[in-house]
Amino acid sequence: MARQSNIVRIVGNDSYEKLRSTKCLLVGAGGIGSELLKDLILMEFGEIHIVDLDTIDLSNLNRQFLFRQRDIKQPKSTTAVKAVQHFNNSKLVPYQGNIMDSTQFPLHWFGQFDVIFNALDNLAARRYVNKMSQFLSTPLLESGTAGFDGYIQPIIPGKTECFDCTKKETPKTFPVCTIRSTPSQPIHCIVWAKNFLFNQLFNAETNPNLNEEDEEENKDWGTTDLDEINRIRQETNELQELQNIVVSQQENRIHEIIEKLFVHDINKLLLIENLWKTRTEPTPLDITNIQNVSDEPSKKLNLSEIWTINDQVQQLVHVTKKLMKRMPKEQNHIEFDKDDQDTLEFVATTANIRSHIFNIPIKSVFDIKQIAGNIIPAIATTNAIVAGLSSLISLRVLNLLKYAPIKSPTDLNMAFTAKASNLSTNRYLSNPKLAPSSCNCPVCSKVVRGVVSVSSTKYASLTLQNLVDLIKDKYEYTDEISVLDTKNQRLLADFDFDDLLNKTLNDINLTDGTVIMFTDEDEDENGLCHKPLELYLDITETLPTGLDIRLPELEIPLVKAITSEEATAEEEEELSVEKNLTEENIIVLDEEEPSTKKRKIELEDEQAAKKTKSEVEDVIELD
Amino acid sequence: MSSSEGKLTEDEIALYDRQIRLWGLAAQTNMRSAKVLLINIGSIGTEITKNIVLSGIGHFHIMDASKVSEEDLGSQFFLSCEDVGKYKIDAVRERIMDLNPRVELQFDIESVDSINEDFFKNFDLIIATELNREQMLKINQITRKFNIPLYLSGSNGLFSYIFVDLIEFKSEDEKLKSIKATETGYISTHREIVHVETRQDDEDPEKVFEKITTRNTYKHFGEMLLSPTLEKKLTKRQLKRVSNVLPMTLTLLSQNCSNLDEFKNETIKMCDRLTINPKSLSGDYLEQFYNQIGLEFSPVSAIIGGAIAQDVVNILGKRSSPLNNFIVFDGITLDMPIFEL
Repeated sequence: MARQSNIVRIVGNDSYEKLRSTKCLLVGAGGIGSELLKDLILMEFGEIHIVDLDTIDLSNLNRQFLFRQRDIKQPKSTTAVKAVQHFNNSKLVPYQGNIMDSTQFPLHWFGQFDVIFNALDNLAARRYVNKMSQFLSTPLLESGTAGFDGYIQPIIPGKTECFDCTKKETPKTFPVCTIRSTPSQPIHCIVWAKNFLFNQLFNAETNPNLNEEDEEENKDWGTTDLDEINRIRQETNELQELQNIVVSQQENRIHEIIEKLFVHDINKLLLIENLWKTRTEPTPLDITNIQNVSDEPSKKLNLSEIWTINDQVQQLVHVTKKLMKRMPKEQNHIEFDKDDQDTLEFVATTANIRSHIFNIPIKSVFDIKQIAGNIIPAIATTNAIVAGLSSLISLRVLNLLKYAPIKSPTDLNMAFTAKASNLSTNRYLSNPKLAPSSCNCPVCSKVVRGVVSVSSTKYASLTLQNLVDLIKDKYEYTDEISVLDTKNQRLLADFDFDDLLNKTLNDINLTDGTVIMFTDEDEDENGLCHKPLELYLDITETLPTGLDIRLPELEIPLVKAITSEEATAEEEEELSVEKNLTEENIIVLDEEEPSTKKRKIELEDEQAAKKTKSEVEDVIELD
Repeated sequence: MSSSEGKLTEDEIALYDRQIRLWGLAAQTNMRSAKVLLINIGSIGTEITKNIVLSGIGHFHIMDASKVSEEDLGSQFFLSCEDVGKYKIDAVRERIMDLNPRVELQFDIESVDSINEDFFKNFDLIIATELNREQMLKINQITRKFNIPLYLSGSNGLFSYIFVDLIEFKSEDEKLKSIKATETGYISTHREIVHVETRQDDEDPEKVFEKITTRNTYKHFGEMLLSPTLEKKLTKRQLKRVSNVLPMTLTLLSQNCSNLDEFKNETIKMCDRLTINPKSLSGDYLEQFYNQIGLEFSPVSAIIGGAIAQDVVNILGKRSSPLNNFIVFDGITLDMPIFEL
């Protein structure tokens, strides 16, 4: 019996041969990625390319079973590939890089894969890979976990719901006054300490006075009480003085900072009587706490226990001194980083003292780290289950199960952990059938997508007019089409703007990886026009001989023209979403806050890597 | 190396950070004092070992008397082609030790048939995979005698099952109180709510939680095979949708069939006993299942091994609602129902 005998009996000889010649892309070599890599190898997939940007951290080791203590700070992708060698029977190609970097990973690079497995931890990259899969019509296996919760979703472009068909949770925001004047939960105090106070004190680039005026117009104050708004403005201005104490390292004046924040500012708040009609009044910090602070560094405190207020103040003085000393070495700019103990303890102690003042429960440093760093719990078992599901369903996506051929992509199942997520007591997994793509989805349904491939010689002389003519001809547009660069929503041409038409694509910065949108502005007598078309510009040397530009074979259906009012309404909706996203108090993201130190090291590594890029990208082919 | 007493060290808290945030320091500390036995490290056993050793259990003991075959290489990632012919225990030992040096590990080249039953008394929990019916009946008899929780599991290609016998287990779950208060009493044939306590959230007084204590009762393996029925346990609609994998798996566990026809006939009888309509049995499924009996398949093992390890961690640490008591998995549709049999 050979190693492949089981898989051959399960899928049959023909499908086994197909598996051996299947090339997959695995995006992510972290929690789900390590597990998927193992599963895909044991399933005998012929070739697996693994992309990950990250390096290994101690807190990964409870679940990312391919990594050890000795691997900390090493790149995940290459380390994972080394760790699987003893049982590997596939061609493995690791890359350390950001999947969204179109220089390292241009579209035609994505084009070599038969199937893509997402094992990502953030929304932006998920959305990006989803778009690539839509452009190329490559099936995508999407997956995710958070604690006990996990899901997998196969995405068959054009046939089933894509990643963007359903709304994803957007980051949580809080009104300014909740954070600055009337906190009622620990998270309000943590946001105040981390997003407001820490920046004001330790980032000399933050000029409180300028900052405030800039955003004045659009600010969600969460109140119309002018007294309160004025107080908030004044308080911010006064912080400039505190920043000066920090920058000039006047250790003997730390107590002034504490008094200002936790006594004087609270007293001023108490003067605005309106605020306390329906709320419990805050109690300013007992001044004796401040005066009793000794110069000695605080005793060793347990990070997972709740400290007394006296200990909070002691430790605050202690870490503020340490941070002050660091200021000149770090160009008067320290950023909060959950893995930088000084910054974490500063945020934890100031948040807790504020909580104490407002009668809010105080928390341990361990718990505050989770909220401030947006740490998402993660365990081995959920990742193993999700990776198992994702790799298993890929057999049906690729139509390799002889007993269960897929008649329609909507016969395929997605799955999520119903029992572990407390959604069911009699199903361990829920397995709904896939839904067809949503007609409202801006990614997969509202536009037609494709790739325009151009050789580099042709590209050098190709004008926008040339491209527009080719497109009109190919897809039978009548006269009026408008052209947009989707990267920055820049209008390139329409019926009364033709200045750029005679420029080459290169002149107008339409480079490799740019997505160009063509909109039919000419409705017919029935009020119909072509569906908008998005073309990915792919500059490549892989075109067949004799061909220097290739437009995709697409059917562009006629749809009801969107009236200008509808279009404006939609735009406004999009704008308001954007505005919310840039609101200053965003704190909860779907991705763990990266360690800035680690990022700095990575940046250096990246620069080094660029020099030796050809080496890094070289195929590591072991076995 | 092991320090099974007292508080977790700062190092341990940093290493287990992402899971402590899920189940708490107390659960992590409880796990460190637990002793678990795994009988047979095949494909599912490999997955269970990986998950449990990573989780930071105190003591993990693996027992297996088999030698590595070529076929094992296709579904067991602790093995390498140089290991073929060696005792499996000898082949996997170093790689498992390297996985988490904080766990106290023990390895035995020993078959479950040759062990003195007093040996099993040393464990808080036993997991056994790849056993035949007689071995499963015997081990369950022993775990009942010594009052030890037991998990049994096996795989049939794209299909797999988990059997759980915790004898009697009180679990504690917390959930947000809904408008209607939770009442004590039976919620299914195997589960009874015995106590409900409310607790106000200390951060948001409007949130009220219910702490629900449930008594889970279990049947031993033999008893389940003797009289499996779904009568009065499922609604008519649910009965109609019961996965084919349930009667097929139960037939396999309780009968010796020498050919496909016999297997088919026995499965139809099993449907009758379960009170599900044999007409819903698909010929394709029967044939496919029959052809895959006993095959190990990595992604299926990952799912089953993940589910077992998660439940083990749950009951050792957190004591929240455990599996009860028979789970089947269909690798084609990803269906994974839980039955109280």
